Amino acid sequence: MRTFVSRNAFPLGIAVVATAFLGLFFLYPVLKVFVSSVITPDGAHFTLQNYKDVLGSGFFLQGLTNSLSIAAMASFFSMLVGVPFAFCVARLPIAGKPVLLALTALPLVLPSFVSAYALVLMFGRAGIVTGFLRDIGIPFDSIYGVKGIVIAYTLTLYPYVVLPTVAAFKSLDVSVEEAAQNLGASRGRMLRTVTLPLVLPSILAGGLLVFIEGLENFGVPFVLAEDRPILAIEAYKMFVGETATNPSSAGVLGMLLIICTVAALLVQRGMLAQRRYATGARGATPLIDVTPGVRRLASIFCWFVIAAALVPFAAVVLISFLKFSGPVLQYQFSFSNFVQLFERSYRPLGNTLLLSTLAACVATLIGVPIGYVLVRYRSRLSAILDIVATSPFAVAGTVLGIGLVMAFSSGFLILTGTALILIIAYSVRKLPFAVRSASAIVHQIDPSLEEASISLGVPPLQTFVRIMVPLMVGGIVGAFVLTFVTIASELSSTVVLYSGQWSTMTVLMFQALEGNSPGVGTSAATILILCTVLPVALVYRLLRRYEMSML
Amino acid sequence: MTSITIDKAARTFGSVRAVDGISLDVRDGEFFTLLGPSGCGKTTLLRMVAGFCPLDEGRILFGDARIDTLPAHKRNTGMVFQNYAVFPNMKVGDNVAYGLRARNVSKADTERRVEAALKLVQLGGYGTRWPYQLSGGQLQRVAIARAIVIEPHVLLLDEPLSNLDAKLRVEMRSEIRRIQKMLGITVLYVTHDQEEALSMSDRIAVMRSGHVEQCAEPKVIYEQPATAFVANFVGTTNLLKGTVVTRTGNDVEVKVGTTGIKADAHGAAAAVGQGVVLSLRPEALRLVASGEAPPPGWSTLVGTLGETEYLGALTRFQVKVADGTVLQLMSLVPPQGDAQVTIACDPSRVVVLPEDA
Ligand SMILES: Nc1ncnc2c1ncn2[C@@H]1O[C@H](COP(=O)(O)OP(=O)(O)OP(=O)(O)O)[C@@H](O)[C@H]1O
Ligand SMILES: [Mg+2]
Repeated sequence: MRTFVSRNAFPLGIAVVATAFLGLFFLYPVLKVFVSSVITPDGAHFTLQNYKDVLGSGFFLQGLTNSLSIAAMASFFSMLVGVPFAFCVARLPIAGKPVLLALTALPLVLPSFVSAYALVLMFGRAGIVTGFLRDIGIPFDSIYGVKGIVIAYTLTLYPYVVLPTVAAFKSLDVSVEEAAQNLGASRGRMLRTVTLPLVLPSILAGGLLVFIEGLENFGVPFVLAEDRPILAIEAYKMFVGETATNPSSAGVLGMLLIICTVAALLVQRGMLAQRRYATGARGATPLIDVTPGVRRLASIFCWFVIAAALVPFAAVVLISFLKFSGPVLQYQFSFSNFVQLFERSYRPLGNTLLLSTLAACVATLIGVPIGYVLVRYRSRLSAILDIVATSPFAVAGTVLGIGLVMAFSSGFLILTGTALILIIAYSVRKLPFAVRSASAIVHQIDPSLEEASISLGVPPLQTFVRIMVPLMVGGIVGAFVLTFVTIASELSSTVVLYSGQWSTMTVLMFQALEGNSPGVGTSAATILILCTVLPVALVYRLLRRYEMSML
Repeated sequence: MTSITIDKAARTFGSVRAVDGISLDVRDGEFFTLLGPSGCGKTTLLRMVAGFCPLDEGRILFGDARIDTLPAHKRNTGMVFQNYAVFPNMKVGDNVAYGLRARNVSKADTERRVEAALKLVQLGGYGTRWPYQLSGGQLQRVAIARAIVIEPHVLLLDEPLSNLDAKLRVEMRSEIRRIQKMLGITVLYVTHDQEEALSMSDRIAVMRSGHVEQCAEPKVIYEQPATAFVANFVGTTNLLKGTVVTRTGNDVEVKVGTTGIKADAHGAAAAVGQGVVLSLRPEALRLVASGEAPPPGWSTLVGTLGETEYLGALTRFQVKVADGTVLQLMSLVPPQGDAQVTIACDPSRVVVLPEDA
């Protein structure tokens, strides 16, 4: 036992810190949600009545079906768009590929509810395009409901499919394809029987990410669902309660959400474990020769997808510089929206920047050592640590927010109404991302570099600082910035947890949507977009330069 | 520069006993090689010496000082890795200076020693280059320079040449040997390439699943292997099972099937009636032309000519003897004609080995 502890002091220390942090701020709140779902409203004794009530109600059952079917459709359409897109980018000579690649992941870091909001502004009941179509006599049914939500999800989440699929297409061993052709398979047959099965695990992994995100997301359905029930929103409404709060039902809905996401995650893990093809790729996979016609078609397709994904954001930015009188748009350039936005206070913008920075620091400081341990110390301990550290991914922001309120509004630690509870919620939610990016970075660094340094006389901790940190720093800064920007546009736990003085830009947008004041809404969205695009653009340069020096 | 004593070192991973109580003495200034098939524990043993793999049992000493309880960075070993492990974020010069800076060597001294080390590996003037501007062979030289510049007690190399192409590998062999002789440094070298081991080493320890089968000079390993495993792993050989029928002094006769084969036991324990294994290297066997008498004192075997393989300078061929055993032979002149051939074997080159347990 003593030797075990001394040999594993570092990973054990990290595991203790991680478990303590997540135990208190993640498992305990989730447990609270669970408990609230299985006790009577007066808190007196155990009951399953809450589940019977919720599952017996046509309204909530409809919510469950809506949530699941929307997530499934979003996943399907993301794959439908994402796979051909990934293939074109990875294997065909597309025009303007570097720019295309740089823009591909952008929708993932931009706030998705802004895209949904843009859809409403353009295709909503009083939307610009709707009005225009009506004027020229084309009847147009509005965008609200399942249809709109699926469109918004597809446009913002398809990169989840594209990114792993491009990587898979690129890491494919060409000789496998050549072997297929050599054995007499036509190019189409080869794609169907060899190439596609090899990249299928990556496609499905991406598809399941879309599914989970589609289940958990709060903002997009909030903008587009109108009165149709959606799990994440109903849980919020039950808990915050416009009429009467009902923590028991909120707890049940939260548990249903968790069960669905955990099931999806387990399926994804199982699938990845089952089909791991070792491809001994030698160098870059070559591009496929195609006729100029095909090339043009593929280029048009890719650029169309990118445009469709990014135009809503551009539209919101554009509209934010036009004048509104009440909710009615005047086609006239003006800063009045921004004036109106900042009239009362700059505080929300300051809050967003401050809270995002602090939470990203916490997530990075805890996540990077965990990621390091996961890669460098392979043991049962690290396997457990992996599961613990990535589990926040399975819990929707709304549910985590509800749990945190249940856990820390009374008792030994009171945090509700503070900035701290927001920082905690954000860092818990983003911890899996920080861990994953850190372990991806460490994975690429040869362990013998550290050993070389140690054998040259530099102690382990100093070696970590002198060798690992410089090698990891580019990746960590990149991950930090991505964490920062995704926190800046976090809505689902924020709406549950914020209090007056700690409201953020996303809350401003949320309130503008509720109060139907598009001027404030669009200008807040523009500020948010700036808050994401600027840092990402900055590190994009940095990462590129860093990669070049690493080659 | 020091001797290394490994005393009953052992390490278990799960159910695998990777190093199973190994004891070895490496002399001061010796080029000592650990040779063995994949997974036999060579790397594990080397990493024990370097300090990257804690011992479950046993001790390791440099000279008289016990070092297995020291952390890796205090052992003053220079290690060269299979994949170079040159720090990609530092220039060549900074890589080589890395260990000196950790030892707080003065700036002027560092500069001088770095340049000297780079010259020694024939990379004088490369200090300002980035690692990505170098070829594989050059990177390996940087790794060697970096390891020797700290004047380590021992130099540890784990298959340093296996990532290089065949020609460069041969070149680097003599390069490493030259540097070792010049510095007089103790080297512990790991390889699974027998040619590398035979050509470079002062002594070789042949390993098999966590223990040492034989530890001796290359010539002894090849000509007088201690076990059938060693005979088979180092070089090509024919192993025949038999029973000792007569023994006078070191001259024994072993009955293999129906034929008797004479051999020199070289002091091996082989009592009459005992089961043994004979190792017949191709060079111990010679074809006897029909009508010609075999050299006096040599035993003969009769068989049929099998496949022949033309290798340029040599021809390799097979002979199937009466009991069905296929023997591998080599000769300068390709065998001619007859399907029926007679083979003579040189008793002084036949090795008598104990039966494998
Ligand atoms: N960290 C480890 N965890 C578990 N098993 C290990 C570990 N390191 C080595 N082993 C096992 O110990 C045995 C010896 O491994 P080692 O790396 O020393 O072999 P080797 O002789 O260097 O082989 P190779 O020539 O392939 O490098 C192998 O069975 C290996 O699987
Ligand atoms: Mg090895």
